[in-house]
Amino acid sequence: MINKSIIKRILSSLLKSGGDFSEIYIQKKIINNIKLEDRKIESSSSGHELGCGLRLCSGDSTFYAYVDSLQEEKLLNAAGVLSSAVNKSCNRKVLDLTSSESPYNINIKKYPEEVLPEFKKSILLEVDKASRDYSSKITQVTSYLSDLEEEVYIANCNGIYSFEKVVKTILTVSVVAKKGKEVRTGYKSLAKTCGYEVFDLKAPREVAIEASRIAVDMLDAVSAPVGPLPVVIGPAFGGVIFHEACGHGLEADAILKDASVFKEKLGKKIANSIVTAIDDSTLPYHWGSYKFDGEGYPSTKTVLIENGILKSYIYDFKTAIKSKKTQTGNGRRQSYKHIPIPRMSNTYISNGKEDPESIIKSVSRGIYAKEFAGGQVDPATGDFVFGISEGYLIENGIVSFPIKGATLIGDGPTVLNKVEAVGNDLDFAPGFCGKGGQSISNEVGQPTIMVSEITVGGTKI
Amino acid sequence: MGENKYKSEGTDLVKICKDAASKVDRGAVDEFEIYAANSVQNEIEIYNGDVESLSFSDSTGIGVRIFKNKSIGYAYTEILEENKIRDCIEKAISNSLVTNKEEYNFLPTEGEYKYKSSKIDKNILFREDFLKFSVKSKINIAKKLEILTKEKDKRIAGVDSLIYNDSQSEVAILNSSGFFDKYKATTCFIYVNAISKQNGDISTGDYFGCARSPEDLNLEEISANAVKRSVSILGGKKVKSRKVDIILDPLVSAQFLSVIANGLAADSVQKGKSLFKGRIGDKIFNINIDIIDDGTMPDGLASKPFDGEGVPRGKTVVIKGGVLNTFLYNIYTARKDRTQSTGNAVRASYESSPGVGLSNFYIQPSDNTFEELLGCIDKGFYVMDIIGLHSGANPISGEISVGAKGLWIDKGSLQFPVKEVTIATDILSLCKSIEKVGSDLKFLPSGGYIGSPSLLVRDIMVGGN
Repeated sequence: MINKSIIKRILSSLLKSGGDFSEIYIQKKIINNIKLEDRKIESSSSGHELGCGLRLCSGDSTFYAYVDSLQEEKLLNAAGVLSSAVNKSCNRKVLDLTSSESPYNINIKKYPEEVLPEFKKSILLEVDKASRDYSSKITQVTSYLSDLEEEVYIANCNGIYSFEKVVKTILTVSVVAKKGKEVRTGYKSLAKTCGYEVFDLKAPREVAIEASRIAVDMLDAVSAPVGPLPVVIGPAFGGVIFHEACGHGLEADAILKDASVFKEKLGKKIANSIVTAIDDSTLPYHWGSYKFDGEGYPSTKTVLIENGILKSYIYDFKTAIKSKKTQTGNGRRQSYKHIPIPRMSNTYISNGKEDPESIIKSVSRGIYAKEFAGGQVDPATGDFVFGISEGYLIENGIVSFPIKGATLIGDGPTVLNKVEAVGNDLDFAPGFCGKGGQSISNEVGQPTIMVSEITVGGTKI
Repeated sequence: MGENKYKSEGTDLVKICKDAASKVDRGAVDEFEIYAANSVQNEIEIYNGDVESLSFSDSTGIGVRIFKNKSIGYAYTEILEENKIRDCIEKAISNSLVTNKEEYNFLPTEGEYKYKSSKIDKNILFREDFLKFSVKSKINIAKKLEILTKEKDKRIAGVDSLIYNDSQSEVAILNSSGFFDKYKATTCFIYVNAISKQNGDISTGDYFGCARSPEDLNLEEISANAVKRSVSILGGKKVKSRKVDIILDPLVSAQFLSVIANGLAADSVQKGKSLFKGRIGDKIFNINIDIIDDGTMPDGLASKPFDGEGVPRGKTVVIKGGVLNTFLYNIYTARKDRTQSTGNAVRASYESSPGVGLSNFYIQPSDNTFEELLGCIDKGFYVMDIIGLHSGANPISGEISVGAKGLWIDKGSLQFPVKEVTIATDILSLCKSIEKVGSDLKFLPSGGYIGSPSLLVRDIMVGGN
């Protein structure tokens, strides 16, 4: 898209008044979105984005500009504005660019550009039919099908040069079910870092049926209890609890700013010894995977917690240097319009030994939280909440009534120590995570786990 | 440093719209619309007295909506080269081939405007004095806020997030039935999160300010509020689960109002995704409360002369005296309900076609002071902040359960700090339980510009021990 000698000129120009690091991030993105609602294809849109972000670091300061163009003149102008913010002598040379390698190498089978619009439409119509066939109580089906083809070039003054072609496909299904005055919703998505072969793994109707089952089952929900209770958290999306309650607090920017409860805990026991947690961007085709992070660093598997002991934080380039650690390939950004920051990729609790059914049987009175609507954490205090979207009471070791309107509230360090059982049914679920105004694709994962006590925020004492 | 040099000379949206329009093959479409937007942004992050990051941008894009055989297609591009604009138009046309035909799909006509012309003075949206502020002076404003925040109380241990950002934006819409207009706007926003520590306990409190010009940011007030929200929760504990009366801080009320507002957009109502469907004329609140959407409010940051499809904005009383008066409409939903558009077509950027959304949306304040509300409570909870609204409130089913922190109330006075508790209810019960409205209206810039005063709400379940 742009030749290496121009890139080198820009990297040098950024450093002309001093600075420690210069970088260029070039992104070309083609996206397509198609939406079904009210039994019809409501909209279909496409977008073409192209731009480039320039970064200059000097001491603890980062200077950033983005330009929606690849014209050399515009880039040099932006580089000039940035370099004028640093007023030092130039002593940094730009090294020759060498192409980076990554352990992440996959094959795309069905590129979005080769898929006909009529086929995309048929996927959404299949979702609508399967949902409404599942139950006459389904009153609305909203489904989005989006695909993305992207090319990213990253180069920096240390001679790093990376290129990655990214293909992503996502289908989301939201349904509304109604019985008398009761209204419930169900949501399920299928998302992979690959093309339309994603539907060879799972048929659109299966996603639709799962979303519909949740909404219909929840129609009979009773009011959730309130107060501290044992909670069994289901596999896959249940991993959002680790993502929120712990993962964000392990991101090195929070650590360096003394805004994390996990500061100065490396090598220390922060969780029950049955907990091992990993961030792994190398898992093939997973939603949070990539060949290179947003700074051109190869994808990496990082053990965060091993048998309860904190092993590593989550680093990008800048926080790794400041902490005198190796980068973990977690410098991620939403687009060329954003500065990279430490972010999780696919983050999960590893398999334990227990049978999920026996975990549930061990609870005499508690909650089985199967699906969540999401969660939020304040990393500085560790305080979190999760909204349960599919939950049940556990009575005498048996999953009984569905419950409505419940959240879980607590703090990360306490919950990690109260994980008392880890199952052997590890699974993953895709999602989006927001931080610092940037939304990126993530995966969460875990087997069934049991936490001895979390406060449940229902309405029934 | 190069002041304002970053803005490229002469990004001319008029020319961009007209050029794009000239490339549309009029034989291939029935109607079309070009939406062009340019935004020049500046963002500054401060940490420990230094610039942590400073970023600039100047970007332009266009979105093309075409109407053909009563179907709509949409495409956008950030690359404004001639062939890419042609590709974009082609993409929009091919996208129209898969969307459903509907009789309501055609461009707005003047007879469908509820507000015939906009009463807003365009000069209010764009403040000339905004341009006076150099990057350096904006850095100094941000640094000053960090200092003020740290000075306010010795329990403040640090400021982990201090962000200033601003933008000068311009929007133009041109359509094939002859509409062509544009406006410019300036906005700035500053945010601080203060961490406080005492006896091993940690607490955070954040606050923000937003305005049309940095001149109007009140740093004293912002720092004082962030510090108050942080230190007053120090040493907070759980309380026993029980139903009590609560006071919602204006920023908390505004967040709940945004969930309620979801169900007042005609789009959600028509699709059966609103609890307010079929309830026009019903008394939703027990008290005489007014809720207003005013797209022309002079000091409203969501004010614009026209909406995302060129329809004039106005002032719509959605809830009048506690009774549901009307929903909010764009052209498509108005045609479906055989009414007029209230000018509530919104689009986040050129990336999206117009949906239905809020402008300046607020609960009309009364003259009750905060102390008067407090005086009405025997045992209760003053909710200063909530967490987890996005996952804990479902606007379709109405369920609400979120994390909360604040101060316990006993016999009309504020007592000890409370944290790690939940408050749970549902949307319709919440509306019915509001007993008094305060006078301290405060707006929150989030999906529109949403405002509420403090609210006194009876009998809400607080979950703790």
